[in-house]
Amino acid sequence: MQINTNDIISTLYYSREAIEYLFAKKDNISISQLKSEISISEEMYNRMKSLEIIYEYENTVVLNDSVINMLEDILQIGESTPGIISEYVSEIKRYISFYQETHHYRFISPLKKYLRRIDKTITREIIKLQKSIDDTYKNESNYRIKLRRLEEYREKRDTIINNIYILQNLLSENHNTLSSSADAQLFQIIQTLKQTLLENLDYLIEIQTDITDYINKIQYQLDIYQKAQQLKELKDQGLLNFSTNFHEIIEKLNPIRFNGHKAPRTKISVDTLYTDIGQQLCQKIAEKYKVSQLRYRTSAGQLNFNINEKILDHQILIDTQKLVEKFLQQKEKNLFEFILNFKFPKQIGDLTINQKLSLFVEILVQYEKQLNFSYQLKFIEITENEKTQKIGYTVILPSKERKKITTNS
Amino acid sequence: MKIEDLELPKQTHEIFNILARGHFISSNGTKDGMGRLYDILNDPVNFEKLQDYFNVLRYKIEKGNNYFYFSKLNEPPSITEKKLETFEKYIDIIDLFASLDNKITIGSRFRPSEIAEECNANVRLKQKLAKIPLYRSENFLNKIREICDMLTRDSFLELEDENTETYKVLDAYSYLLDIINAITIFGQPNYSENTNDNLSDNIDININPN
Repeated sequence: MQINTNDIISTLYYSREAIEYLFAKKDNISISQLKSEISISEEMYNRMKSLEIIYEYENTVVLNDSVINMLEDILQIGESTPGIISEYVSEIKRYISFYQETHHYRFISPLKKYLRRIDKTITREIIKLQKSIDDTYKNESNYRIKLRRLEEYREKRDTIINNIYILQNLLSENHNTLSSSADAQLFQIIQTLKQTLLENLDYLIEIQTDITDYINKIQYQLDIYQKAQQLKELKDQGLLNFSTNFHEIIEKLNPIRFNGHKAPRTKISVDTLYTDIGQQLCQKIAEKYKVSQLRYRTSAGQLNFNINEKILDHQILIDTQKLVEKFLQQKEKNLFEFILNFKFPKQIGDLTINQKLSLFVEILVQYEKQLNFSYQLKFIEITENEKTQKIGYTVILPSKERKKITTNS
Repeated sequence: MKIEDLELPKQTHEIFNILARGHFISSNGTKDGMGRLYDILNDPVNFEKLQDYFNVLRYKIEKGNNYFYFSKLNEPPSITEKKLETFEKYIDIIDLFASLDNKITIGSRFRPSEIAEECNANVRLKQKLAKIPLYRSENFLNKIREICDMLTRDSFLELEDENTETYKVLDAYSYLLDIINAITIFGQPNYSENTNDNLSDNIDININPN
C-alpha cells in the first residue's frame, strides 16, 4: 500500500477520539471496550490498523509507540530518555570529525541540524525528568519502588550532566575548526546552545536537590513509623502520658477540626434575599424542598398617597366585619350607598369621599365571596369642598334584595 | 488596605468552604479540583491576599509540607478528652500502617481489602487491628473501612475510585507524621536529629526491610 504523510495526518485527525482514549488509558484496552466507549467506524478502525497507528495483541489494542512518543515529546511528559542526548552527541562528534577532515560545507548542514535538535532535546528531557520525579514522589504507591525510581532518576540526571560536559568540551576543543567555516548561522546556534547548557546545568543541580529532598522525606516517614511503633508500645503499657510529652504536644495542635470549631453558618440578610443573588438562592432552596409557590415578587411602585395618614388609620379603627354584617342585615341600599350614608362613630369623625371609596374597595377585596356582585354600574354625583365629581361604582346588593331582583326580572 | 481592593482569586469561596470545615488542602488531592486550589494558595501573592481576607473572619491559614489548613486567630488551642482520644487512635492507626509489608506513605494507593487480607494472614497485625477501638467490629474488612472513613473525613485520605474502593494518601498525612515526630520519648534522642545522617546507607537498609 502506498502511504503518504497526508494519509497519516488525516487518519490521525479523524481517529483523534480513539487516539486520545488510548493515549490516556494506555494499557489493557480490549477491542470491544474501545469500540463501545468510542464512536469509531469499522472502516476507520481498519485504516488505523493498516497504517499501524494501532496494534492488536490477542484481544487488546495498543497505540503505536511512535505516536505515544510523539505526543509525549510535544506535551513534555513521559519517561526521560537521556540516551537520545548521547546519540545526538555522537552524531555531532561524527560530523565535526568529517568537517575537520574534508573542510567540506556539506557536513555543516547536518551538524547545525543536530546542534539545534540537542538544544531542544536537553531542555525537554530535563523538564520530563522533573515531572517524573514529582509524579513518582507524589503518586507512586509502593515506597520501595518509589525509592528505587528516585535513585534511577538520580542516575538519569547524572547521565544528562555528563553529556552536557562532553558537549561543552567538544564545542570548546573544536572552536577553531568550527570558526573556520565562517558560517554566521552556525556561530549563532553554538552561542545559543552554550547558553542553554549553562542554564540547564543550574536546573539539574536543583533537580538533584529535589531528589535528595524527596528521598529524605521518605526516609523521614520510615523513621517516624518506627517511632509510632514505640509510642504504640508505650500506649499499650499505659505509659504514654508519663514517658512522653504527648499531652503537651496534643494541646498545642491548632487546626480548627481538632479544637471543636464547627463550620460557620452565616445567616443571610433579608436585604440580600431581595437581590438577584438572593432570588437565585431562594429558587435553589425552593427546588430542594419542593416549594412550588415561590414567585418572584418585584417591588411595587411608590403609592400615590400617604398610606400612614389616610388608609392605615381607618383600617385599624373601623371594624369592617361588623360594617359588612350591618350592610347584609339591611335591604334598602347597595353597598356604596350604604357606606356613603353610614354614620360612623364620633371617634372616627367624618370621612372624606376618597376615604369612603378606599373603604368600599377594601371591603370588596376582603369580602368578595360573601358579597353579591350584580355586575351593574351606577353613577353618582358628589359635591365636596365645592367640587363636583361623578363617580361610577359597581352595585353590590344585600343577598335578599338580590333574590328579589332576580325573581322580579 | 480595604478588602474590596484585594482582588481575591475567584476560587476564594471554594477554598474557604474546604478550610472552614476543618479540612486540609493537599497538593496531591484530586477531588473538587484540590490540586488547583493548592496551587492558588501556594502562590505567595494569593496567599498574602487570602491570609489578610480570612484574618478579618478570625481565621489563619497555616502552611505545612504541601498542605494548608485553618487555625483560629487569637484563640489558643484547647485540650479536650476527645482530642486526646482522637490522637491516641491515630497512634494505633499509624502503628498499623507502619507494620504493613507494603508501607502506606504519602501518595500511596491502597484498597481496604488488601490490608484486611494482610491482617488475616499475619497474627501480629490481627492483634493490632483487634485492639483499635472501633464501632464496626464484625470483620477485619469493615474495621479497615471504618479507619479509612475516619481518615477521609479528616482529609488525610481520599477515596480516589469508588468502584475499586481505592484510597490515596494525601500530603496532609504528613501532618500526623509531624505530630509523631514532635512527641519526645523521655530518655531518647529525637528522631529528627538522625534523619539526615548517612542517608544512602539508611535507604539501602529500608529498601529491604525484611
